[in-house]
Amino acid sequence: MTVKVEVIEGGVPHNTILAAGLVASLVLIYLTYANVLSGTQLFSFFGGLGAVAALIWGSHAIKHLCSYGIGTGVPSAGMMAFGSGIIAMLFATKYGVAAPIVAVILAAIIGAILGFLSNNVLNMRIPVMIQSLIEMAIIGALVLMGFAAMMTGSFEFSPLTSGTVSVLGLSLPSYQASFIGGSLIAVAFMLGGIAIQHPFNACLGPNWTQDRMLMLAAECGFLSMIAVSVMSMALINIVAAIVSLVVSLIGWYYTYIKYIELSKRDAASWLDSKPIPDVEGH
Amino acid sequence: MSAVGAKPQAGGAMDMPATIAGIILLLVIIGATYFLVGPGLMFMALIGIIIGGLAIAFGVHFVPVGGAPAAMGQAPGIATGVAMLAAGAGLAGLFGGAWAAEQGLVVAVVTGAVGGGLMMAITCMFVTFIYVYGMGIPCASGKVAKDPITGDTQAEFKSQGTEGHGLPFVSYVGGVIGGLLGGGGGTLIYLMLLDVYKDALPGMMKALPAQVLPIAVSLAGIFAVGMFLVNAVLTAYNITGTIEGPHDPKFKRFPRALVASAVASALCGMVAILIVAM
Repeated sequence: MTVKVEVIEGGVPHNTILAAGLVASLVLIYLTYANVLSGTQLFSFFGGLGAVAALIWGSHAIKHLCSYGIGTGVPSAGMMAFGSGIIAMLFATKYGVAAPIVAVILAAIIGAILGFLSNNVLNMRIPVMIQSLIEMAIIGALVLMGFAAMMTGSFEFSPLTSGTVSVLGLSLPSYQASFIGGSLIAVAFMLGGIAIQHPFNACLGPNWTQDRMLMLAAECGFLSMIAVSVMSMALINIVAAIVSLVVSLIGWYYTYIKYIELSKRDAASWLDSKPIPDVEGH
Repeated sequence: MSAVGAKPQAGGAMDMPATIAGIILLLVIIGATYFLVGPGLMFMALIGIIIGGLAIAFGVHFVPVGGAPAAMGQAPGIATGVAMLAAGAGLAGLFGGAWAAEQGLVVAVVTGAVGGGLMMAITCMFVTFIYVYGMGIPCASGKVAKDPITGDTQAEFKSQGTEGHGLPFVSYVGGVIGGLLGGGGGTLIYLMLLDVYKDALPGMMKALPAQVLPIAVSLAGIFAVGMFLVNAVLTAYNITGTIEGPHDPKFKRFPRALVASAVASALCGMVAILIVAM
């Protein structure tokens, strides 16, 4: 019924990216559990890396879906991912250590039903619609869970909803100083939403190349991770937050340099301009 | 999407077996929620969430969405996607309504609706300024010969080779109605969830109601945003791209979106309620 206007030529097949993204993201989010085992919060940054892995997969999933020309713009796919993912993610946090697995399963169910609704009830008739919306919901849930784990050091419901504030040297429990109670979740939602839809939106076109788009996805992910690590200073101890910040800065700088290289490779030509031009003759 | 822009050929017809399957799914979800939480506040909240979702889905159809062609002056409407526009109007309404949550259901929903409608009215006004004074194009619809409200003829203002351009009066009115419905629906979802969480969270977290209020507000807010986006994007998929407003032939597709959004709202609402019920 629909015309596929762009074919993925060359590069890594989508299923490989799907499998790698899912496994890498789950493993990295679970690595934050080392916080509990070791009694520190130093391993929180693994949550952010898990979110980056999911975002890389997500940008390719959006490419996979939007190559059919859904007619509603690329950002709508990202909004759908997070709108359905956040519901699965918050419900899953109640299941303690099994939370990431429960989030994946529940997101898959929600995504499948939404995919059925768009493909059959709304008559979209796009072959990859159901699979893509399942992937989108899982990605949304995993990115939010990764950012939550990075900000609080945990992905369980009670650490996400309660924090401590120090008043005159005393540390008191407070529900306001927490990931959910302080509405940091809304910021994580938008940081992820921008990072997931930007790469394909920026790279689409006749000279789309897979490695450049995925590198941009990683760059956007790390950029969001920088903001998340700054916010994590309010919730976890300062050393762990600075470790997160350093990791995200290094990751962002590396992916940014690589992305600029790839952009220059794909560009017809470019001109290196300098901030202050040299004055000639003097 | 590519620049070639092959639009999906989603027909206007309803797929009856799928629609019936959707309605059965809706009844199953409502039944399962009734079975799990029983009659009472939580079940009524689910019904409220479904009504809110229906208002959002119906409202989005009124919003004149032009997309990229509108930015180039080749199609009428506001030059952005459905999801962005609906989110802008609906979330503005939702935030407005959330401020009035203390004043009771009716006042808060009306406040939310006014917030969303105001947002759309301002957006449409400045869009028209930019079209007329910035781009130098008159407002003309390509879908109807006469504006259904003012009765102005459109054809002599329409450039050849375009589907119309600018923002005709009927589209402006449609945008405001869409904002009203979207903002009201989003606020209704928020209020329903807020009531459920305010009621259930103190027992679940063993804390005073005043202490868990931030959690209840934040959870209800983020769920309302999530459900709003799901409903808006599903409706965008129904419209597939651009719509001029209530006079557009695509507007007649809205029954499909109502079924889809009722199922989606029920599903998301059930999960959101079960967070505190299970």
